[in-house]
Amino acid sequence: MFRLLGALLAFAVLARIPVGFDVGFKFDAALAVIWAFGLLSLVLLTGYVGQISLCQATFAGVGAYTAGMMVSSFHVDYLVAVVAGVVAAAALGVVVGLPALRLRGITLAIVTLGIALVFDRYVFQDHAFEWFTGGTGGWRVSQATMFGLQMDSSAHLMAAYLVLLGLFCVVAVLLVNLHESGAGRRFRAIRDSELAAATMGVDLTRYKLLAFGMSAAIAGLGGSFYPLVAGSVSPQPFWLFTSLQFAAIAVLMGVRYVPAAALGGAFMAFVPDVLTRYGHGAFMGHAYEISYDWFQVAVGVLLIVQLIALPDGVWGDLRRRFRHAWSSVGMVGGRRVKVA
Amino acid sequence: MATFAAYTVIGLSLGGIFSLAALGIVLIYRTTGVLNFAHGAMGMFSTFVAWQVFYGWSHPFWPGWFSTFLAVVAGLIFAAAMGLLLELSVFRWVRGREPVVKAVITIGILLALQSAASLIWHNNQYHLPIYILPQQWVLSVADVPIGANSLVIIGAALGLAFGLGAFLRYTGFGRAMRAVSDSPTSASLWGVPVGRVGAVSWMLGSLVAALAGILITPFINFDTTSLTLLIIDALAAALIGGLVSLPLTVLGGFVLGLLETYPTIWIQSIGFPRLVALIVILAVLVVRNPRGFSVAAK
Repeated sequence: MFRLLGALLAFAVLARIPVGFDVGFKFDAALAVIWAFGLLSLVLLTGYVGQISLCQATFAGVGAYTAGMMVSSFHVDYLVAVVAGVVAAAALGVVVGLPALRLRGITLAIVTLGIALVFDRYVFQDHAFEWFTGGTGGWRVSQATMFGLQMDSSAHLMAAYLVLLGLFCVVAVLLVNLHESGAGRRFRAIRDSELAAATMGVDLTRYKLLAFGMSAAIAGLGGSFYPLVAGSVSPQPFWLFTSLQFAAIAVLMGVRYVPAAALGGAFMAFVPDVLTRYGHGAFMGHAYEISYDWFQVAVGVLLIVQLIALPDGVWGDLRRRFRHAWSSVGMVGGRRVKVA
Repeated sequence: MATFAAYTVIGLSLGGIFSLAALGIVLIYRTTGVLNFAHGAMGMFSTFVAWQVFYGWSHPFWPGWFSTFLAVVAGLIFAAAMGLLLELSVFRWVRGREPVVKAVITIGILLALQSAASLIWHNNQYHLPIYILPQQWVLSVADVPIGANSLVIIGAALGLAFGLGAFLRYTGFGRAMRAVSDSPTSASLWGVPVGRVGAVSWMLGSLVAALAGILITPFINFDTTSLTLLIIDALAAALIGGLVSLPLTVLGGFVLGLLETYPTIWIQSIGFPRLVALIVILAVLVVRNPRGFSVAAK
């Protein structure tokens, strides 16, 4: 009940925030939710099940390209395109999960890195896959309808944002609930020790594939809204470095916590834009210009510092501090232990 | 037939690069337990330093060989310094942590180095090669031209594999490195300087990565990302060696180089070799599931 109320409250607050800002920030807000879906998929896969993956942006990209293809080639309703995108991403996730049945830890990281690179350099860019990627220019989604309503990219950005945010809140609550459910307990058993989980009768094949499929579906759900928000799909947003940034930011923010995904999504969408918008001028006579690359340098350095100093991530650390402070507040005026 | 032979030469050169990059990965992984995803990025950064010295700061009146020498030395010194700095500032503090955590840290290094390089040198594609030997030196074997620079790469890969192997086997410090790779705890109990071993392997590994990056410049149009992404081919070669064996790693590098080059006779695609690398990785990991790996993955 608390979770539902919290999600509703978060939705009500977050839905109002981009109102009154310019189109650029509204775009960032929608993009933030798309990235947050990508990070949420890692909360499930890495935080709950303990499987490392460096190809979450690939899942998002497959969702985006499938949705773009459905809308551009078959002129379907955008809702159908999103469903197709999610299904395609989930199918790829299950396929990626197959080698994961025999691998764990670093070896899985290598394989998923290879998969991300193959999609980045080959599938999303090669002529052989033009039916899927729409050629070098990618798909342009100018006319899209959802529930029969016109969902043009720039004019209806807020509508797309609200739909995205609503979906994100629903999926986030579902994920928090999953943590305590039977499937969630099996997932966590796999994370702690695959051998022990198998001994206690957890069907490793089934639950690992389920985790990969669900995780890819979540990433694909966010990605399939990308054509609607940006108006086009190109390989650049879903290339290898986005996948690496997903992994880095998910760990940085706290890979075990659902709210950390929202925090990370906002971080990933707003910080680079704010930097490029306002990060230029002159300081003591020297002109300076802060470009997008500074953001990625900062992510790398912050990740290293965080892994050494705060192993549980930013959100995990904040949560621990808050609980600590809260418990000491609770002590005030409470039961006092008499000494002597 | 002539095409085939020419592609074999290209494949072997490429394979030599993969082998060199993979040797550094294996060296660092064995002694410090860090699987270095940033290996390509480290090589890339050092390559750009060498390139900067060669094309940016060299005096036009210097003889060509002197500029080349200076550039290569500068790149290698920079690489060693960077390896040492990373070990001292980062990896010394996470020695007891799980391998996955260390690997994720290297992803942070990859991201930071890659964007730092594109801040300094921008996202342009460069085709300004550094030739170790003059480009005109070409050996002709049965009408197949073999560039001297290809021979340098192949020779460097083979030489380093056996040189490193001999270093690990016959010198005191090499023995210390092998002791640390077996068990850091018991090695330190025997008085092996574990910290110094880690520092030396990072310096050596980074040096070899820089060498690979500098040697590949005549063969590709390079930019900050393409050199960084060499990591996947290097990892594939290292996996063939089970992340343990140096000779098998070099063999794996050459095989992978040939496997990635031959399809380009028929398929004109930049991305297709990546698929070959992925298939090799999957074949090694899933089908063979090397024993050596489980030993090394402590």
